[in-house]
Amino acid sequence: MRNAYVDQFPAEAKVIKAAFWSSFLALAIGGSLGLLQALHRTDVLRIMEAPDYYTVLTAHGVLLAITFTIFFLVGIFTWGVTTSLDRGLVDLRFTWGWYAMMVVGTVLVGVSILGGVVDAIPMNADVLFTFYAPLQPHPAFYVGLVLFVVGTWLAGADWFRTWLAWRSDNPDERIPLPTFMALTTTLFWYLCTLGVALSILLLLLPWSLGIVDSVNPLLTRTLFWYFGHAVVYFWLMPAYMLWYVMLPKLSGGKLFSDPLARVVFVLFLLLSTPTGIHHQYLDPGIAEGYKFIAMTNTMFLLLPSLLTAFTVVASMEHGARQRGGTGYLGWLKALPWRDPVFTGMALAGLMFAAAGFSGMINAGMNINYLVHNTWWIVGHFHLTVGTAVALTFMAAAYWFIPQVTGKELWNRSLGLVQVLVWFVGMTFMSNAMHRSGLFGVPRRTAEPQYENFAFEPAAGSMGEINAQVALGATLLTVSLALFLLNMVMTSLGGSSDEIPDNTYAETLSGPEDAPVVLDNLKLWTAIATVLVIFAYTLPLASIIDAGGLFGPGIDGFQLAIEAGPAFVLESVREVIA
Amino acid sequence: MRISKGALLVVIAVLIPFIVEFRTALSWFGIEISVLESLVLGAVVVLAIVIWAVWPPNGDAEAEPTGSS
Amino acid sequence: MNIHTYEKAWLVAAMVLIVGFMATITYGAVGPGIAMIDDDGGTIDPAEINDHERFGEPGVEHVGDDEYEVAVVAQAWSYTPEQIEVPADSEVTFYVTSRDVTHSFSVVGTNVNTMVIPGQISEMTVRFDEPGEYGILCNEYCGEYHHTMEGKLNVVPEDEFDLTELSVDAPSEVEAGNETTITANVSNGMQEDLETTVALEIGDQGSERDVTVPGDGSEEVEFTVDSAELGEGDHDWTVTVDDYEETGTLTVVNATDGGDGSAASGGDGDA
Ligand code: HEM
Ligand SMILES: [Cu+2]
Ligand SMILES: [Cu+2]
Repeated sequence: MRNAYVDQFPAEAKVIKAAFWSSFLALAIGGSLGLLQALHRTDVLRIMEAPDYYTVLTAHGVLLAITFTIFFLVGIFTWGVTTSLDRGLVDLRFTWGWYAMMVVGTVLVGVSILGGVVDAIPMNADVLFTFYAPLQPHPAFYVGLVLFVVGTWLAGADWFRTWLAWRSDNPDERIPLPTFMALTTTLFWYLCTLGVALSILLLLLPWSLGIVDSVNPLLTRTLFWYFGHAVVYFWLMPAYMLWYVMLPKLSGGKLFSDPLARVVFVLFLLLSTPTGIHHQYLDPGIAEGYKFIAMTNTMFLLLPSLLTAFTVVASMEHGARQRGGTGYLGWLKALPWRDPVFTGMALAGLMFAAAGFSGMINAGMNINYLVHNTWWIVGHFHLTVGTAVALTFMAAAYWFIPQVTGKELWNRSLGLVQVLVWFVGMTFMSNAMHRSGLFGVPRRTAEPQYENFAFEPAAGSMGEINAQVALGATLLTVSLALFLLNMVMTSLGGSSDEIPDNTYAETLSGPEDAPVVLDNLKLWTAIATVLVIFAYTLPLASIIDAGGLFGPGIDGFQLAIEAGPAFVLESVREVIA
Repeated sequence: MRISKGALLVVIAVLIPFIVEFRTALSWFGIEISVLESLVLGAVVVLAIVIWAVWPPNGDAEAEPTGSS
Repeated sequence: MNIHTYEKAWLVAAMVLIVGFMATITYGAVGPGIAMIDDDGGTIDPAEINDHERFGEPGVEHVGDDEYEVAVVAQAWSYTPEQIEVPADSEVTFYVTSRDVTHSFSVVGTNVNTMVIPGQISEMTVRFDEPGEYGILCNEYCGEYHHTMEGKLNVVPEDEFDLTELSVDAPSEVEAGNETTITANVSNGMQEDLETTVALEIGDQGSERDVTVPGDGSEEVEFTVDSAELGEGDHDWTVTVDDYEETGTLTVVNATDGGDGSAASGGDGDA
């Protein structure tokens, strides 16, 4: 008897499948745009006007960092909650409801961005995914974002409801690990999105509709980063969950320690949000002390990641030894390297370790001045979200798509080639981006070629670095195409009886070893809230005190739509004169 | 084969960042190797690994580590 | 909770690493006193920039000994001023604000890098020990032509630096036989007095005048030109002060030719 996820939870499998396909679609579009950007910036191929670059970049950022990641993770968390609680969701109409809300939100945002290049759409949202005011998008952009975020809130509510229903049947049991992970992640997601939701609903949306006529740019920016750092952990937590509950099983063993895994997720709940100001080390109007607090919290956030590195490697070693591996490093040979699911996740983890190093540089308040807003940062987060998360998700899809469709993966070897090509492509692209950041090449810049000066690479030449980026980007796009091909072909295939059972890793040291207090979600939420209050009350108060809630008469700027550059320059000259 | 074909592919892939970063690291010490030189270096190392992997250990060529998939 | 020995060791090592990082960074921040952006710059209403005492006239100002202040206004998609010159081995404080959206003010390849947020003033103090030329660019997306936003910072040797400005007021025409004056205005932005020589050359005549321009002040020097000595026709003139030079042409016309007699000036401007 086949016992895949689709057999256990056929109705939930449909939602998860829909979420995955939404995420793949975003990945397909966003990834292709990534190639376009890489070729344009490096002057290898320029098929668009420079101003359109920013429309494309807005789409790339939103589609990949928000749409692709979050659609995939709501699928994963839904899988984790139902599988580990061994029960279905409470009410599937509710589930389809939040999914639909996320879709509508995405479409609104997508259309408003598309308006930047399609004249027929009278909208514009060339504001990049950070939408710093006073750059002003069409209100539909804000409305779409809010709908999307509220959709994820309801998704979280769905998991909580399901857990509570389970709790009333199982009053004395420990929360199963995957559910624990989904719930703690949801909690900090609520905590952090509250800031950006308030910022959009109370400040930005009324301003873009003309109800109030000014914003305080530093305030909305700070509220963005209040969410903007935690969101990176929102992407990362599902990847961590897969490393904890899938990798050990794939390696042929068990998870080293359930209690430590819980500690790690609790630490993320506590520390994800009160760190956001580390993105504002270079912002005026925020006292150094607040930046220092954010840095301290950031450094402590290294701890759960270092613990994860240990547990994951230890679990893999345990698995390898179960499979007959021996020796100090010889056990590595015994791992299932031919399995794209395993290899993809393992390589994603390896790249995440590399990203950890550049991340420590970013986190240092003073070293940050050298790299802030340079291409170094882009190199860094293509290792984190662009690989640790994206590659883990793609690798996981090779396991999940068969689970939720009941169809066998079309081509496993191609899957292996795909994850390897991604790894190699990212090596080239990210290395060159990091290096160019060190000598000042800016990020988010269509044509980084200046009249007054030239960049001086410490080693090599600008041409060589550009070539390396273009090569890497091309490999990544090839890899992406192979992935999508495999997914499409798998879906076109027929049902198969060969699908493995829907299980996740057992543990060597189980929940019974974990202090019960770890499961006290109320306590951790309360502490997390207090930490956020500590980190943010004073900076926010001083920003509002200095600049007012709505700022000193700061109008919106749509530096694109009706205003050609000549127009804007002219109006600026008028102001200067 | 000493390791499976899949593992061999993985080893080669993982080697690439090492070569790329090796080149970056050397440049800090003022040693600059050209793209061509690093390509040659990479090829030599890859070749060495392939030879090592394909060379039959103790004659039994089909010995794969137990349980590798 | 049962924690494996190796895991404990790892935990301890991780904590040591983290605390070590914080110690080095704290030392780096407090010890050598690297410039960090904070709220010292204060706030400003972007609509009032033109009337602001500092930003109304952006540029380099000498505030004493080896201290300078540079006010920069950023707007889509340029900096005012675009070219900045400061002396090496002095303490330079930059004040930067934005007229419209958020920009950055980033000196390429250095850690002089700040966001420029409308409503806020970014203040940072830097020392450039060596002369050099640096690019300035905006690395915060600010609209369609963000990639064209750049400037230049020249750090010049101390003894080559001054804040002298020369402007000249001269008629373009004079009737033969009449006298006229060419007026040089030398202003000195440094706090110390400037002792220098203003020289005028016209045709094959020349005259020099020594002046002392007070600190943060200016001085006018008038040269009387006798057209009779020049004779009819066009005469190129040059006024020089130190390395600054202004040129123009004076035409001596015959009265009966009935030049239009306009007082249009033949060459004045700022060095
Ligand atoms: C085919 C693969 C990809 C390529 C070729 C690519 C290329 C690029 C390039 C060249 C930039 C820099 C733009 C600039 O600074 O001017 C960029 C930015 C970015 N990429 Fe990618 N990328 C890829 C995949 C991804 C993935 C998978 C993610 C996340 C899941 C991602 C997230 C981002 C984000 C968030 C930005 C920053 C956008 C911004 O600055 O507003 N990229 N990408
Ligand atoms: Cu962050
Ligand atoms: Cu800009």
